[in-house]
Amino acid sequence: MTFVDFLNLLIAALLLAGIYAVMSVGMTVIYGVMKIVNLAHAGFMMMGAYFAMELNERLHMDPIVAALLAFPVFFLVGIAVHWLLVRWLPHSDRPTLQSLLLMFGLWLVLQNIGYLVWGNTDRSIFTPRTLAIIDIGPISISSLRLVVFIAAVGCMVVLEIALSRTWFGRSVRALIQNRYAGRIVGVDDEKTARLTFGMGIAFAGVAGALLATLYSFDPDFGRPFLLRAFVIIVLGGLESVSGVALGALVLALVETFSIFAVPAAYQPAISFALLVVALVVLPGGIASLWAKRRRLA
Amino acid sequence: MSAAASASSHAGVEARLRLLLPWLLLVVLAILPVAGLGPNLIRLFFITFVWITTSLGWNLLGGFAGQVSFGFAVFYGLGAYTAALMITAGVNPYLSFIAAAAVAALASVLIGLPTFRLRGPYFAIATIGVSEAVRVIMNNLEITGGASGFRIVEHGPFRQVEHYYTALGMAALAVVVSTLIAHSKFGMALRAIKQDEEAAADLGVNPYAYKLAIHAVAAALTGIAGGVFARYAAFINPPGVFAFQTSIYILLMPVIGGIGTVWGAVLGGAVFGIVEEQLVANFPQIHLLLYGSLLILIILAEPDGLAGLLGKIFRRLRTSKREDDSADSGSGKPDAVLRGAGGG
Repeated sequence: MTFVDFLNLLIAALLLAGIYAVMSVGMTVIYGVMKIVNLAHAGFMMMGAYFAMELNERLHMDPIVAALLAFPVFFLVGIAVHWLLVRWLPHSDRPTLQSLLLMFGLWLVLQNIGYLVWGNTDRSIFTPRTLAIIDIGPISISSLRLVVFIAAVGCMVVLEIALSRTWFGRSVRALIQNRYAGRIVGVDDEKTARLTFGMGIAFAGVAGALLATLYSFDPDFGRPFLLRAFVIIVLGGLESVSGVALGALVLALVETFSIFAVPAAYQPAISFALLVVALVVLPGGIASLWAKRRRLA
Repeated sequence: MSAAASASSHAGVEARLRLLLPWLLLVVLAILPVAGLGPNLIRLFFITFVWITTSLGWNLLGGFAGQVSFGFAVFYGLGAYTAALMITAGVNPYLSFIAAAAVAALASVLIGLPTFRLRGPYFAIATIGVSEAVRVIMNNLEITGGASGFRIVEHGPFRQVEHYYTALGMAALAVVVSTLIAHSKFGMALRAIKQDEEAAADLGVNPYAYKLAIHAVAAALTGIAGGVFARYAAFINPPGVFAFQTSIYILLMPVIGGIGTVWGAVLGGAVFGIVEEQLVANFPQIHLLLYGSLLILIILAEPDGLAGLLGKIFRRLRTSKREDDSADSGSGKPDAVLRGAGGG
């Protein structure tokens, strides 16, 4: 491997990490505040992909714009789902199997609505940008991936500001740290949970729409990405946003550079193997290696 | 007083009837093919028995011990491939099924050793990872024929009725094993683990060892089911038997039927098998849409599943029939989900 190859791969991994971070962060905030493992995340990612496709095909909207538009739309969807289903779950400071199975049922419903509406053929979004490449000397970067990366980083920055500067963000952080203490000092946990769920689903929609510009998709689209999102949030320590960025980077690097060590046919097994290893060996995430308590920076 | 006495004798008859019913069911099912059941219906019953067995297997781990696994397709698939390879090599099919159970149980220990260090949903998530990884590996292995599948060659004529009785015997075995475990000290320890692992450990139950043990039993049953199915189907491939979909089916049946009870799991498997065979050929999406919605409803409204719902209906019918028995309103216990809602 020459140095240029290495640089190319490194850049590819970085760009991949951006989209990985966006697709995982929605699960992290929901887990942090509500201790719900949102399996339906995959279903909403799939819906986000078709959302972008429909807007692109019917209104000729740029898929990146459609992805940004997905945020408010899926936010409202998330709030509706919370009102309809999630708020009936018992509150718990540990993840419950009921919540896991409920979200799983919701995923099945979403997935099969997808099959009914769009069938099971592979779809994709093709724009003039899809195959464009920016060359900087010997290094070439897919311009679409760069745009997606910028959109993804933009979303993460907005989230970071929302969490650190607003009353809502402070409520979220308080509830993640200690639900009971948060309630004692007057945080409205129901309202915060509702908004958080909306936000988590909104990020799923955005991530799905962004991913749809890069990969072809069918109604089972979210599953491999759901597992990657698990790997990332476990590596990131489950409830920290900065941890998600770190986890996304680690997974993207491992996936990108493992092509030298693992035969291509076994590639899909890497993230799953990493998931099990991370869960078993590093239940506190990578950050637990050097910091005992660091949550949601 | 006489009313109370008659009520108690009534309860005695009922208890005896409850003991007798499963055997009656078994006899009826055993007579059915002789009574001239068509090949299509025999096939339907066969598939249903296979599903019931996997449902009971999953229920041992998920229902009794409270460990939800999304990875039972691993055992189903391993059982199917073990039986397929051995039958093709000329080994007696029934020996092959035993080997299928052994391989699946061994795999369950290998999977359980690391993953049972995780609790609840973390275990569940890890099992998704394990099953995906296993499918990828099986897709690429030489010995299994890889992604193109494996054709089972068995000498001798194809006797559908033999398959029927094999599957019926297997399902009956699963019911017996489940019932024995449910009423044993082992089963009690599992339920203690389900309710509170720390408390169970304080009482001298080793949760890790017990979970490994029940995982192995559950995997063995699921492995046999996979083997029996493979012998009937005569062709298997990794995207079929190792599919995530298979894991989903195996999980849905006991949860919908009534998680944690033997007959709930049987009911779930039976309903699923029959509905699946009728719906899946024509409307596979509607099938899972239905089950997804049912799952949501059951989690939120009726945690005891269809069996719990039926029980409630029976109780209500009985109380309205017997006017004097006004002590029990028959409304059943409050839903576990909603009961927990106030504790937040």
